[in-house]
Amino acid sequence: MAKPDHQAMSEMRVIEDAEQRGRTDLWPFWRKAYAQGDPLPRLECKVSRPVHRFDEGDPLPEEYKGLLLKMLRHEGERAGNKSFLGLMGTCLEIAEALFPTPETKLLKAEYLAEELKHAIMFHRLAVGLQHDFALRDVPYAHYSFHLPRESWADDAFFHFFVDLNGAFHSRDWRESSYVPLQKMAATVERDELGHSEMGYYFLTEICQDRRGRILAQRILAKWYPAALDMFGRSDSPNAPKFIHWGLKSVDNAEIRRLYKEYVDRKLVALGLDVPDERKNRRFL
Amino acid sequence: MSQIVEEIRQAYARVGITLDQPAAYGTYYRLLCAGCGRMVGNVGDKLLPDMAQALVDEQFDLYASGLLGCPCGHQKEQTRALDGPRWTRAQQTLGA
Repeated sequence: MAKPDHQAMSEMRVIEDAEQRGRTDLWPFWRKAYAQGDPLPRLECKVSRPVHRFDEGDPLPEEYKGLLLKMLRHEGERAGNKSFLGLMGTCLEIAEALFPTPETKLLKAEYLAEELKHAIMFHRLAVGLQHDFALRDVPYAHYSFHLPRESWADDAFFHFFVDLNGAFHSRDWRESSYVPLQKMAATVERDELGHSEMGYYFLTEICQDRRGRILAQRILAKWYPAALDMFGRSDSPNAPKFIHWGLKSVDNAEIRRLYKEYVDRKLVALGLDVPDERKNRRFL
Repeated sequence: MSQIVEEIRQAYARVGITLDQPAAYGTYYRLLCAGCGRMVGNVGDKLLPDMAQALVDEQFDLYASGLLGCPCGHQKEQTRALDGPRWTRAQQTLGA
């Protein structure tokens, strides 16, 4: 049985309190990023569409529910999703095996704690949407989640790019027609942006010396196309449906364009050359 | 073992890295140094066809120069044995 809303909120406040006690000069990384203004671009719907708004328990049109579940399957951060927990396990192992300093290891621990917070939040959302979805195992299908991580720089790029993808999607959910998702979007966006900044912080450290910068430049060729591919095909037939139902504001090409502008600027600031955007791409 | 996992296993074997047993509910695999058994990374089983070989090949110079691979130097030695001239060029370009 789902817990009453006030009880779930109380649990989240306990988590927030625990988070407060984890704060350091660096963590959470989103703090500095947002202190300088909104770090993310606006995702503005440019087509005319009907206004939809559905809350937990409302009857959902079949197509709407199908699209929402599809989106949440891709998102994956659910306590009942074994594959998400497995992915987190790999992050733990990387932290154990490759960490450069005890400080970085602790930062990864904070990262994991925050992702598990999201797993609780998305679990609540899943339970409210469809009970059997809450325990469904959905392996991450996109190859970017499966690329080899063989160095701390690999892991840094993973966070910089992949968590940023989550931040961009969460930004879009701020306007979502599904109220439970819209309510949690700002928190998830903020945290994911922070995780991306954590990766960027690691990259900044790595690029301080010549060999680190060489390594980062070489493996950027692996991560950059995957990062751009994560937004899917530009001609996806589902994109107009997502936009129509208010589950997304912009299509894959537009969100990828804005993401690319963001990451390119940050890569140049690291002193790295931005790869050709078409090289090694699989989903144009 | 799926075809993709077999591709990954073969690609890494050439540079002296062993694919461990599946971990994390069967989706991810640890990469272990074939020389000393130390964990050097991990990889998932949803790479696209032919991707693993291309990725490992792209990283040849990084193994050769010690920028990637185990601190014990096993991958460095493996890449030297695989392609001596390329290994030497990698030393000159990336530094030892």
